[in-house]
Amino acid sequence: MGSAEQMGSVIETDVLIVGGGLAGLNAAIAAAEHGVSVVIMDKGGIARSGAMGGGIDHFTAYLETGEEWDTREAYLQNLGKVARGAVDLKVHNAIYCRELKGSIERLARIGNPLTQPDGTFYRTRSMGRDGPLSINFNGKKLKPRLADEVRRLGVRALEKVMTTSLLTRDGQVIGAMGFSIRTGDLHVVHAKATVLSTGRVDRLFETPTGIPFNTWQCPSDTGGAQAMAFRAGAALANMEYVLVSVVPKGFSAAGLNGLTGMGARLVNALGEEYMIRYHPHGSRAPRFKLAEGALTEIREGRGPIYVDCRHLSPAELEHLNMTLGYDKDTLPDFVRQKGIDLAKDPLELQVSEGAIGGPTGGLGSGIMIDERSAATVPGLFAGGDCTDQAGTCAPSVTSGYAAGKQAAKYASTVSSKKEIDWEQAAAERARVLAPMETKPGVHYREIEDVVQKIMWQGVGPARNELGLRKAIEKLDSVEPHLGDIGARDYHELMRANETRDLVLIGKIMASCALYRKESRFGAAHFRVDYPKTDDENWLGLVAARRNGEQIETSLKRLSYEMPEP
Amino acid sequence: MPPVFDAGKCDGCGICDLHCPIDVIAIDEERRLAFARYSEECWHCGSCRQDCPTGAVDIVFPKKMLLV
Repeated sequence: MGSAEQMGSVIETDVLIVGGGLAGLNAAIAAAEHGVSVVIMDKGGIARSGAMGGGIDHFTAYLETGEEWDTREAYLQNLGKVARGAVDLKVHNAIYCRELKGSIERLARIGNPLTQPDGTFYRTRSMGRDGPLSINFNGKKLKPRLADEVRRLGVRALEKVMTTSLLTRDGQVIGAMGFSIRTGDLHVVHAKATVLSTGRVDRLFETPTGIPFNTWQCPSDTGGAQAMAFRAGAALANMEYVLVSVVPKGFSAAGLNGLTGMGARLVNALGEEYMIRYHPHGSRAPRFKLAEGALTEIREGRGPIYVDCRHLSPAELEHLNMTLGYDKDTLPDFVRQKGIDLAKDPLELQVSEGAIGGPTGGLGSGIMIDERSAATVPGLFAGGDCTDQAGTCAPSVTSGYAAGKQAAKYASTVSSKKEIDWEQAAAERARVLAPMETKPGVHYREIEDVVQKIMWQGVGPARNELGLRKAIEKLDSVEPHLGDIGARDYHELMRANETRDLVLIGKIMASCALYRKESRFGAAHFRVDYPKTDDENWLGLVAARRNGEQIETSLKRLSYEMPEP
Repeated sequence: MPPVFDAGKCDGCGICDLHCPIDVIAIDEERRLAFARYSEECWHCGSCRQDCPTGAVDIVFPKKMLLV
């Protein structure tokens, strides 16, 4: 029987935010501006945590300058085309379009404007857009500036605290609990509204270099929010899509957008700008097309592939060299240590490991949210990459802010919180801390390596029914061995709990991929046994919900009318 | 391998440790020196180097990444 005394201190708040990355900090600002009390829980430190912590170089926005491609309608029309079958335009309109102008102003106000020093926007075109909708900017201080603003507003941040479980009562979310990865202290946060914003799933697939943390996006992002929400009964969507990118050989790093946006060409071993064969935008095609092109070129023997900047003008090269480290701070170091000069040498590329991070730019994979940023379980909201309708930089900023605002509004309507179910909390504590008692136990990597191999082999960029069924069977057979993982300290306890989440997320992904009997978004969901896109039967979101210990899948159909502003 | 700390410059203030998003870094309190406790978990994001007040951090990529 659990009790408050056994569980350490309980923190009372109006709004709890789990995950202090780009979306989470914008959520915290919104909620605090609404006048409610706010607590953030983060596995890292909020100044640099999350996928954008070290920096970011572009922000997708239409600016309504009068050009026909520069409007809300043109943006949504393009997204409805590029992300057809995954984007819910009404929701995306609410969490991105309605918050865009305010977000651009907010970033300027907190001291990291999207403009160049002369006050203008440097705009480039890439990733399948109809116009130059990418604002190139120096976002190396974006996270620290947001963290300063969050602290100025009086938000309490619990840093180096891993959140493991949502607290529920009568089917409603009433907060969350977690532990300090340094001291092991338990933290129970009792909240009127909870926002989840822990990002993508980046450690689910085997990596090409064999270094598990050499991942394109943040390897701390292991689907904590998706796993927690699913366990609490919330629906997830867009979970079947595997996101692979094209990255420098040896270094799974972001930054390709900056290169192709500047006009760099992707070329194969024959010197052909091969992307022309896959998409009318060539090297500026959407990411899932870039992945499909790279996979095909290499498979058909036309690799190695390169990114070639040699034709760029001196001014373009200068801008490129100046901004190359904005997205990935250490990419210039890597290029230099490899002995490459982009003005003279093409840079060899590879296909990255897989991830769950939305089917295409601007979208995410995870908690299904509505126009009020609400999950399908009361009291729960979400923003950023861990939702089905927002992903990458700009939508994380806007959807985080929207989620914080909606959570604060909801909290204002709750007069008294439902009591914590201490039995539930005690059971969760026992589950989470178990690896500390398992002696000697196996190292978490031993299990996670297997999970990553199962996922890459069975649930990667080419899939079929038998392969997916086998992957689910294998993950089922891994599950009992999770209890063998031992942790020698609280850092390893964090990893052990992440591995456990990854097994659940892997099963959800495979189940959704098995359910969707068609192919969509190039390599993101390519069913060898159903190679065509089938809008008649599959134009919509695959939702995954928990039914006891089973994963239940269903289709939520989408239609494509232009939403009201 | 990365990050590498210059013992002559690092005063063990702990900013890199707090800011590391992966929890790679720890502080040797006796020697007042940062070190990469879980170096194989480094994401090479460069946050430690960007925020180091004494310029003590260098990023040296492992040969496994450079030579492949």
